[in-house]
Order: sequence, then structure tokens, then C-alpha cells
Amino acid sequence: MTVVLAASGGNVVVWAVWVVAGFACLASGVAVVSFANPFYSALALIGNLGSLAVLYLLLSAEFVAAAQVLVYAGAVMVMFLFVIAYVGPQQETPWKGGPSWQTLGAVLAAGAIFVEIIVVLGLKAGGRLSHTEHVNATFGSPGWIGRLFLTDHLLAFEITSIVLLVAAVGGVILGEHTKRERDDLAGQR
Amino acid sequence: MQGAALMGPGVVWYVGIAAFLFGIGALGVLVRRNPLIVLLSLEIMLNGANLALIAFARSAGNGAGQIFALAVMAVAASEVCVGLGLVVALHRRRLAMDVDQLSELRG
Amino acid sequence: MTAGAWLCLCAPLAGALLITLLGTTVSRRTAAWISTTSVFIAFAGAVWSFLGLRSHGSEHGVVSTAWTWLDSGGFKVGLSVLVDPLSTMMMLIVTGVGGLIVLYSIGYMDGDEEERRYFAYMSLFVFSMLMLVQGGNLLLLLVGWGLVGLSSYLLIGFWHEKPSAVAAAKKAFVMNAVGDATMALAFFVLIAHSRSLEFATSFATAGHLSSTTVNLVALGLLGGAAAKSAQIPLHTWLPDAMEGPTPVSALIHAATMVTAGVYLIARMHPLFEQAPTAADVTAIGGGATLLIAATIALVQTDIKRVIAYSTMSQIGYMFLGAGVGAYANSMFHLMTHAFFKALLFMGAGLVIHALAGEQDIRKMGGIGKVMPRTKWMFLIASLALVGIFPFAGFFSKDSIIAATMNVGWYGWVFWVCALLGTFLTGLYTFRLYFIVFPGEPSAFVQEHHHDHHGLEGPWTMLIPVGVLTVLAAIGGWIQFSAYWHPLTSWLEPAARTLGIAEPSTTQEWISSGLALGLGIAGIALAYLLYGARQLAVPRFAAVQRALEHKLYFDEAYDALFYKPATAFASWLGHEVEDQMILPAGPDLATGALDRSRAVRRLQTGILRTYVLFIGMGTAVLAVVFLVVR
Repeated sequence: MTVVLAASGGNVVVWAVWVVAGFACLASGVAVVSFANPFYSALALIGNLGSLAVLYLLLSAEFVAAAQVLVYAGAVMVMFLFVIAYVGPQQETPWKGGPSWQTLGAVLAAGAIFVEIIVVLGLKAGGRLSHTEHVNATFGSPGWIGRLFLTDHLLAFEITSIVLLVAAVGGVILGEHTKRERDDLAGQR
Repeated sequence: MQGAALMGPGVVWYVGIAAFLFGIGALGVLVRRNPLIVLLSLEIMLNGANLALIAFARSAGNGAGQIFALAVMAVAASEVCVGLGLVVALHRRRLAMDVDQLSELRG
Repeated sequence: MTAGAWLCLCAPLAGALLITLLGTTVSRRTAAWISTTSVFIAFAGAVWSFLGLRSHGSEHGVVSTAWTWLDSGGFKVGLSVLVDPLSTMMMLIVTGVGGLIVLYSIGYMDGDEEERRYFAYMSLFVFSMLMLVQGGNLLLLLVGWGLVGLSSYLLIGFWHEKPSAVAAAKKAFVMNAVGDATMALAFFVLIAHSRSLEFATSFATAGHLSSTTVNLVALGLLGGAAAKSAQIPLHTWLPDAMEGPTPVSALIHAATMVTAGVYLIARMHPLFEQAPTAADVTAIGGGATLLIAATIALVQTDIKRVIAYSTMSQIGYMFLGAGVGAYANSMFHLMTHAFFKALLFMGAGLVIHALAGEQDIRKMGGIGKVMPRTKWMFLIASLALVGIFPFAGFFSKDSIIAATMNVGWYGWVFWVCALLGTFLTGLYTFRLYFIVFPGEPSAFVQEHHHDHHGLEGPWTMLIPVGVLTVLAAIGGWIQFSAYWHPLTSWLEPAARTLGIAEPSTTQEWISSGLALGLGIAGIALAYLLYGARQLAVPRFAAVQRALEHKLYFDEAYDALFYKPATAFASWLGHEVEDQMILPAGPDLATGALDRSRAVRRLQTGILRTYVLFIGMGTAVLAVVFLVVR
């Protein structure tokens, strides 16, 4: 009984969390796109990432949620914020510019994609997606993820590391001063 | 079989949110002119994809989805690194921060 | 025998080709002689095949096929010549009279810059006419028919610097084309029913066709014959065709081409016998033409035009005869007509040649004094034309007139018309003679007449004239119906006269007597009016005007066909051509430019729009995959 109550009570909690997290996710997504100031957009994105982490937890993806917060929100967004601070304030009129049909076309295209995915989901909801597997406690745990990385998906693991290396090298090169800039800096000292 | 069922809304709802995120991100890429905002919108799209992956992984009880999501995260990080490097280089060279005007591959 | 026929057919063609290929490497006189020789060789071939057919026995014609020309489905047509009594008779007439006329033209056309072209055309014409009469099946007949029309066009418009000549040539060709169209339709019906254009099969099929169909076929053939032979209502081209050189008028528009219609009817007579309505139409048309043409001839002032209307009238007689079933009589008249009509034209040509091109008879009075031989020859030809005993026309024309008597109640109407025609023939022919020849030479004649070394013309012109005079005088004696009729017997297998068209002997005597009397009466009236000038020519202004306008046929055709056609064409020119077709090109170009300008706006150079296109494409593809699934 208590298990059932707890279960049903747990369900209500899950639903409530889901609603809040979902709403936060959607709202922050819209916010990212809407703000004129990139700083605010970046902050909104951090909120988005946070709410996504909550949703991952609900989906028994604990490790991924942790990685999301640590890596994505922690490292990537901080990097973003650094660059935004470096670049400084921008003058921008968000929705103007370009050909006249750009905005309308964009809304239509994005809307179409969204609607189509919903439609497909609706079509499949009764079929393949009607049944959700029961998973045990190790599902989504770090050890489980690690084991998968090093056994079934070793190739992905290795290639990902190479990609990261390449990105690091690219970042260094892009950040390099040009010769003239170096001379200027040297001259300034 | 042993294991817990998914509590709360069905997987379909999570995928719905993912779709919305993807759409919003696409809209942002198409409409905004500041390269930084474009990169942020791109991030949203990637996150939407990630959410879908995690949801389907849970639905099928298959870990590959989560592995894939982690790989996506790594790639997103690399891509942001390079993208921001570009933005910094742009700023250094006093070019306009407007993707419409950055239409030629010239420094 | 068939070798002779092939020789006859091919010699003029070889002549024409030779003249064309040799071009200016030979002198004009040589080209003329090549042509003349080729036609005389053809005559030799005709004589050969005639003699061969006689000895062979002329029950059936002999068809000799060179090779199969068309072979399509069940429809076969061979390149074949037919040697039978009817075709050999026509061959002899065409090559004989034709050869004399070509010889005559050597003198007539002497000095013309384009003599070679003329003689090439003449040879071509003789070849075409021979193909028409010798063709072993209807298709070859049609080929000859068309080629004859072409040669006529080329020869009428020979002096192409004269706009009147060019217009006349076009008129002749277009009217002939109308006839060709009806003939072609008739052939289509025949092919539809019998899948063959051989003569024998067509005759056999005619028996099986419904009455309407066979009448339609016969009417179609009649349309072609009427156009070619200048019968009403397709006759207006013949007077205008006198724009061509006089030998052309003699050959084409007197002796041969215009008789092709009569030949066609005689050849296709089994068909016409199955189609009594069409036969009646033929006879009515012939009767009407002979009267109308004779009346119009009374007011003509151009010497050649008088003779042209006379031709029209005489061919009306032949059609009348063919319509009532007297095929042999019509062919007989065809032969004698060729003699005296060609002779008349040649005489006219001598006069015109001597007067350096003048053709108006009002200026020509009294030329008989300075050209006596011509005068006598013209007189004999005129007497033959009117049908005075013992000259040629008497025998042939009277046989046709007599044939109409027993045909039925309407036969008597034809008989009366034909007799009236004889009176009119006498009148207009001798009007011409009396105005031009006897009496004192007019001022014009005295001034312009020049002769040819004391003779009235070069020997090349005089010899043919002489030969034809003899023929016109005695040519009729070959047949004197009841008493001796080698011609009818000869033609019997090919064109047997219908029983109803054979009158009794007494009827014949009465008819001939009446015809002769009326002819003499016509001559007498002409003498009183124009010769001795004892009577004033009666002038009825309205009638005179109507006749001078050739009974307004030209004006009627102009209003009925020409004006609507040109109005339609100019309307098309404005509405369709100027509004739709001409702007179509530039409009296409500017349209393309406008569209491309619109499409060019897609190329913005802005990255975001290209990404938008990728997004749109993805959306569309997703839908496609959803639907196809």
C-alpha cells in the first residue's frame, strides 16, 4: 500500500518536476533566441542546460546529466561568456536584415520541422513507442557508461578524443596573433 | 523482468520537448545575425538532439543512446571552441559581427 | 508494240532532260531541233505501237509494267503503260499534232532569248501528256495530269516579265488544282473500296458500289475533267491563258491538254455508265458551255481569245457527246478539232508574227491581200470548224449532234442547243475571218506588215500549216457514221458507244442537214454584218456588256472566293501573325528574362538564406518520406 501510495505519490512528484523542468527548458530556449544582448542569451542557455540535466535525471541518465552540467554548462558556457565579455556589447536588430522573406521562411521551415516530428511521434506513439522498457538500477550509472565506452563503443570513444584534440589545435591556431599584431605588441612594450 | 518502469510522462513527451528545442534552435540560426547568438542557437539544436537520444535510449533500454549523447556533447564542445576562436579572430580584425556581411572568405 | 509505247513515252522526256543538261553549251536552234526530233521520234513510237496493236488484234489493251512503283499494304501500283485503241489514238494525235506544232515554234520563237527553256518545257509537256494517255493505272494518269498542269503553268507564264502572263499562269494552275482535288477525292473512294487503282479493278468495283458513291466518284472525275478542259464553271482560266506564246495555245489549249478531260471520261466510261446522274451532269455542262462560250466569242476583239472561246465551245460538244454515251464520236471530234484548231492558232500566229505582235482584230483588216496563203488556210480551217461539207468538222460534229437525239426527252434539248451552237459557231468564226482577212489592208497592216523573204513565214512555220490544212480538209473522211466507220470499230474495245446514242440513218441525215444549213446561215449572217457591211451590227448595250465581261464569271469568282480568302488571310495576318506569332519570340525572351530576374532574387549572397533553403528542403523531404513511408 505504502509502496503504491509512494509510487503514486512519486509519480505526482515526477510529473511536477517534469512540468517545471520542461517549461523551464522551453522558456529558456525561446529566451536564447530572443534576447538582443548575447550575454543574456548565454545565461538563458545555461538555464536551458540545467533544466535539460533535470530531464536527463528523470530518464535515468545520471552520468549524462552530470556531464551536461560539468562540461556543457560548466566549461563550454564559461568559454562562451569569456568570449562575449571579450567581444563586448553589440548593436543588433535581431529580426531585421536579409531578404524580406527570410523571417517568414525561417518561421515556416522551423515550424514545419517541428510539426512533422510531432506528427511522426503521434503516428508512432501507438506502436513502437507505446512500450517503455523497464531498466535496472545500473542503467545510466557511470560504471555502466564506462563499461560501454570501453567495450561496445570503443571506436566512438577514441574518435571523440581525436576530435577534441583537433579542436584544441584549431583553437590555438585561430587565437594566434598575426605577425603585424605581434610587432605592434612588441613595439608597444 | 526486473527493473523499474518509467515514471511520469511517456517517452513521447520528452521527444516532443526535444523537437521544440530543435525547432527553436533552427529558427535562431536562420534569423539572428550576431555570430555568437548563432552559435548559441546551434547549441540548443544539439541539446534537443541529445534529449531525444536519451529519451529513446530509455525507451529501448539500450545504452547506445547515452553513449551517442556523450559523443555529441564532446563534438559540440569542440565545435564551440573553434567557432569562438573564429569570433575572436573576427573581432581582432575589426570585422563586423554580422553573418550577413561575412559572406566572403577574406580576412 | 509495247516497246513502241515506251519509246513514245520516253523520247520527249529524254529531249527535255538533254536540253536542260546541255544548257547554254548548245545554240538555241540546236535545242529547238532536239525538242522537235524527240517529239517526232515519239510519233514514230506511237505509229509503231499502233501498227503493232492492229496486227496483234485489239480486243484488249496490253499493259506493260516496268517495275512496281508503290507497294503499301495491299495497295500496289506499277509503272506501266497501256497500249489499247484509245491510248494509241491519243498518242498519235498528241505526238503528231504536237510534233508539227513544235516544228512551227522553231520559226515562231526564233530570236527569243529563252528559246532553250521554251523547248525544254514543250518536250516536258509532250511527255506529261503522253504519260496521261498511256498511264497503265489511275495513279500514273494522275501523275501525267499533274505534270500537264505544271507544264501548262510554265508555258503560259513563259514570258515571266509580263505580270499579266504570270497572273494567267497562276489562275490556270489554281483552277486545275481545284479539279485535281476532286479527282483525288474520287480516287480515294476507289482505293477505299477496291484497294487498287488499276483500270480493270476500278471498272469492276464500280458495279458493286452504291449508286450515290459511284455518282460521287464520277462527279469527282468530272470535276477534274472540267477544270482541265475549261468547262463551266472552271473555265475562266482558258481565255487568260492566251498570254502564252501562240504555239503554246495551239498545242496545249487546243489540241491536247484541254482534251485530256474528254479522254478521261472516255477511258472511265464504265464508271460513268454506272453513274447516270454524273453522265447527265457532264452532258448538261457540255451543252451549257458550248452555248455560253459561243456567245462570248461574238464580242471578243483579241484574235486568240476568239479562238480560245471557240475551243471551249467545241470541247463542250465533246463533253456533250461523252455525257450521252457517244464516246467514239467525241474522240473523233477530238481528233478533227485538234487538226483545225491547231491550224487556226497557227494561222493566227502567222498573222501576229507578220504584224510584230499585234493581236487586236480591229487593227487587222484586209491582211488577206498581203498574206494570201494564210487567208486560204484560215478559210479552210474555219469551214472545218463550222462543220461544212466536205471538211473535217462536218463528219465529227454532226455525229455528236445526231447522237443526242435518242437519249430521252432531254436529248432533244441537247439537240436543239447543239444546233444553235452550230449557228453561233458559224457566226463568230466568220465574224473573225471577215474582219481580219478580206478587203483592203488597213492602215495598220500597211504600216507594220513585214514578211519573211517574200514568204509569209519561215519554212518551219509553213510546212506544219500545210500539213494541218490537208488534214483539216480530208481528215473527217475517216468516218462517215453509218457508211464506213473504221474509227468507231477501232475504238470499240475501249470505248463502245452506248446503244441509245446511235441514231437511225434518217435521223442522222436530218440532223446533219439541219446542222449544215444552220452553219451556212451563220456564215451568211456574218458576211452581211462584217463582210459586206450591209447590215448594222445590232447593239444591245446590256447584253454587249455582259458578254464583254464574259458573263461576269470572273467577277463572281473574285467575290466568292478571292475576296473572302484575302480578307481571311489579312485578318489572320493582323490577329494571329502580328498579335500572337510575331511577339511570341520576343515575348518568350522577355518572359524568360523576367522569370530569371525573379528567380535571381533567391541568390542573395547571404549565408542565412542558404541555410533556410536547407531547412526548407529538410521539411519537404520529411513530408515526402512520411507520405511514401
